[in-house]
Amino acid sequence: MKRRHLLRGLGGVAVALPFLEALAPRNRARAAEGDVPPFAIFVRQGNGVAQETNDEPERFWPSAGPGALTVAGLTGDTDRALSELGAHADKLAIVRGLNFAFPGNGCGHSGGGNQVLTAARVSDDPSGNESKSMGESIDNRIATDVGAPGEEPLTLYAGKKFGYLDEVLSYRGPLQLRAAERNPLTVYEDLFGLSGVDPDVLEAIRARRKSVNDLVRDQMQSLLGRTDLSAMDRQRLDLHFTSIRDLETGIVCGLSDAEVASIASVSESLDDDSMIEDVIRTHFDIIALAMACGARRAATLQIGSGNDATSYYVDGAMQKSFHKISHRIDSDGSDGPPIPNADVLHHLIDRKLLGLFGYLIAKLSEYELPNSRLIDCGVAVYTSDLSNKYHGYDNVPYILAGSAGGFLKTGVYVDAGDVAHNKLLNTVGAAVGCTNAAGDPLDDFGDSSLPKGWVDALIA
Amino acid sequence: MRASNLTGWLVGFVAVAVAACTGAIGDPDDGPGDDSDGSCVGCTPEGVKVAESTRFARLSHRQWENTVVDLFQLGGPTSLSETFAPDPLGGKAFDNNASSLEVTPTLWGDYQDAAEEVAQLVTSDPTLLAKIVPSDLPADMPARAEAWVDQFGKQAWRRPLTSAEHTALVSVFELGTTHYADLEPFTGGVRLTIEAILQSPFFVYRAELGTKEEANRLIELDNWEMASRLSYTLWNTMPDPELFRAAEAGELTTDDGLRVQIDRLLGSDRAQATIRSFFDQVNDAEQYVGIAKAEYAYPDFDPATGAEMREELLRFIDHVIVEEDGGLKDLLTSRTTFVTARLAEIYGIDPATLDFDETGFAQTELDPTQRSGILTRSGFLAWKGTESAPDTILRGVFVNRRFICQELGDPPDEAMGAILGDEETNREKVDALTGDGTCGATCHATFINPIGFAFENYGAIGEWRDLDNGHPIDAGAMFPFEDGEKTFSNAVELSDVLAETPQAHACFTRFWVEFALGRDVLLDDDPLIAQLEEESLAGASVRDVLATLLESPVFRYRVAVGTEGQ
Repeated sequence: MKRRHLLRGLGGVAVALPFLEALAPRNRARAAEGDVPPFAIFVRQGNGVAQETNDEPERFWPSAGPGALTVAGLTGDTDRALSELGAHADKLAIVRGLNFAFPGNGCGHSGGGNQVLTAARVSDDPSGNESKSMGESIDNRIATDVGAPGEEPLTLYAGKKFGYLDEVLSYRGPLQLRAAERNPLTVYEDLFGLSGVDPDVLEAIRARRKSVNDLVRDQMQSLLGRTDLSAMDRQRLDLHFTSIRDLETGIVCGLSDAEVASIASVSESLDDDSMIEDVIRTHFDIIALAMACGARRAATLQIGSGNDATSYYVDGAMQKSFHKISHRIDSDGSDGPPIPNADVLHHLIDRKLLGLFGYLIAKLSEYELPNSRLIDCGVAVYTSDLSNKYHGYDNVPYILAGSAGGFLKTGVYVDAGDVAHNKLLNTVGAAVGCTNAAGDPLDDFGDSSLPKGWVDALIA
Repeated sequence: MRASNLTGWLVGFVAVAVAACTGAIGDPDDGPGDDSDGSCVGCTPEGVKVAESTRFARLSHRQWENTVVDLFQLGGPTSLSETFAPDPLGGKAFDNNASSLEVTPTLWGDYQDAAEEVAQLVTSDPTLLAKIVPSDLPADMPARAEAWVDQFGKQAWRRPLTSAEHTALVSVFELGTTHYADLEPFTGGVRLTIEAILQSPFFVYRAELGTKEEANRLIELDNWEMASRLSYTLWNTMPDPELFRAAEAGELTTDDGLRVQIDRLLGSDRAQATIRSFFDQVNDAEQYVGIAKAEYAYPDFDPATGAEMREELLRFIDHVIVEEDGGLKDLLTSRTTFVTARLAEIYGIDPATLDFDETGFAQTELDPTQRSGILTRSGFLAWKGTESAPDTILRGVFVNRRFICQELGDPPDEAMGAILGDEETNREKVDALTGDGTCGATCHATFINPIGFAFENYGAIGEWRDLDNGHPIDAGAMFPFEDGEKTFSNAVELSDVLAETPQAHACFTRFWVEFALGRDVLLDDDPLIAQLEEESLAGASVRDVLATLLESPVFRYRVAVGTEGQ
């Protein structure tokens, strides 16, 4: 049995943490040592933020700076949405001046979602709401580079799916969109479903599964050995083959029955807009536990559909769809009757969602490790896949929390200088241990035409 | 939706306008092309071209669920598939599009868990176990195990096992007797073997492995592969015993034998469910559920009405397509519908005059001057309405994209959030913002607005209205269809126009091709679509159109790839 740390987990309940040396990154690069290996979490709100445009005032970015952030300063910036994160100012790096490098292809929301974590081009075909990214996303790269063999990033989603434009964030590679899971209970059970099982029983399960896996692997290898496969079928079978994993015993992270029951309860209301905040918080609880236990190295949470049509509870009432509010009209099309105070409502939704991100920061901070807190071991990134109400791709917000083991500066408000956002993705990737082909810290993520490098002002 | 079917019919001004509107016309030919010897790869002697398709179409989650229920003869769904990792449909119309269906690490884990649960369920219930263990098996091991593996494996993998597969599964069976040492040995073997069979690629995929190549690199699907294609297309599940028998007898590679099975499958209740699913998805009817309206405009509107609107649509489909054996023309022109008391009020019908069944629905006829077919039903009109008014643009866009397959680009970013003006009527507001002479004229004035205006008589929940802000409704417009410009005075006339327009029939059958083949439609499919369009336009029923589709070489053949057959 491996040595385990005990730490304070969800709801203050002690959870057993597996010894993590075995999960240490293969390429730590410049990433600093921590209690758990560096991780990255990406949280995305849809529809851009209520920042300054030609006809609306600034309501998002801090009023002072760029420069140092303080709790008092950010908290006191009361007319700016980011003041919601004021209590965490010393853990934050607020980054402006980042742009998507490529145009969308017929649908601004889809094109933004295609790029926000990939820094890749938007597909020529398919186009419109079906457009896809032409490259992998950074969460995928992190899982591949520093995760356990075969590890997938957690890919989560809160809110309804509408079929028009649902998950947009995570890509295995060009055109390979990864499905996002909405149900927190399913996520929990996939990660920790065998927690609490007697070790002897676990070993019996492992042995049975291996017998089955051996058969299925043989069949898959036989199929992959054929010479009459199309490239598409080979890719499909290869993904299947590499998805087969034997059970690893020794992971004992888990929650109490009461907490699992709470997750189950929330999971009953996935289509209820009035419950979306609970769903988001529950996803954050599970993400934090997954990172604390070393079960994953990267995660994404997409809030709402590609053009988030959630009706949020704001200002004492359920509002119209966020998508409509974000465009200031009572229609999902390009034109319609005006929504009164839509710009203010957008700002209030920004505040609400940033406040929920604050919940994640607090949750990560609750986990006490021998030498630090969980928040200090990784980085949580808050972003949108648009910058503003016009489907804008310039000055897209990226808010970082955590230093990834000391790699990243915190307590700063940075202007990246009107550069392509691949530099931010390079910085985050390098912080958690990703490397380029030469084995050096990642500096060339995304489309090959983009200038290499990092947001230097973020590196400690 | 792809634009390939547009090529060839866009002429003159329309072509220019569409080009400006969409930015692209037609797709590159995705087909296999010509071989170096000049032969037409994938072409049948009749000149039909078969496009390359996957040989490993993964079961959709619905298909997995249905297959498990049928394979184990369960009384109802396991609901295990509801916990499966979702598939990223990426905006595609149907949940069976193979390009979206992969086995990812998360789904693989879900399959594993589900296989174990099903195996436990079946082997812990003597009644269920008896259903999959025939009474005439040899009494003694190992002959008993070997016979069971052959019989059950053939059912689950939907074809006879090879000898190597037989040997491998028997080995797994033997391991099961030790892994499940607390069970009676045969039961333990069955349990582990079920786990393995359900996780096998031959269960998870509809694997098409036949290699009997004919001219032009065509490979005719074998009888077992045809049985699966037919069954999953029409019933969304594994073949039934009669289809297995027909496959065993070699009947599915004969024209007559195939037609017999197509007719039998199409005539069943299970095909009705599939037809429902097609229309539910192509109309995005799931989106009707939970529709909300502004209290100041519709104080009595209950959001629960949206679910009733969806059911209304599906009952309408049952009636027109299944009971009346109708086709697209009937869908666009029928006045029959099925209403609850709430829906009746939307249609201006006194509920007291109706005879509701135990589910709360009543069949009724709608006013023929106000309603005609599927586009004048409450669900579409309410879904494509703002909280208080018709959404002319979205109604127009939806009909363009889903009923006539008119490719439309999305609006430019700078146009987002354009606010309607203070003109007197909804039509005037839309026209002033996007009509002729505005920057939106190319797409809106030509394609979107004319269709959208036809629905001006319907308010935000689909109720009839003669006036808009005190002004008489103007629902007339002209649209440049493929076969020429056509005018209509309202949605009833538009429905009549669509019912007689080749473009609508081409679009309708195009969606059926996409659904039946479980893949995107390619240029190579155009001849088949043209054939189906012609039949539909002549008044063929949906079932007849489907039968033609399933009898076509496109459904019965695949194209060799790689070094296959060489």
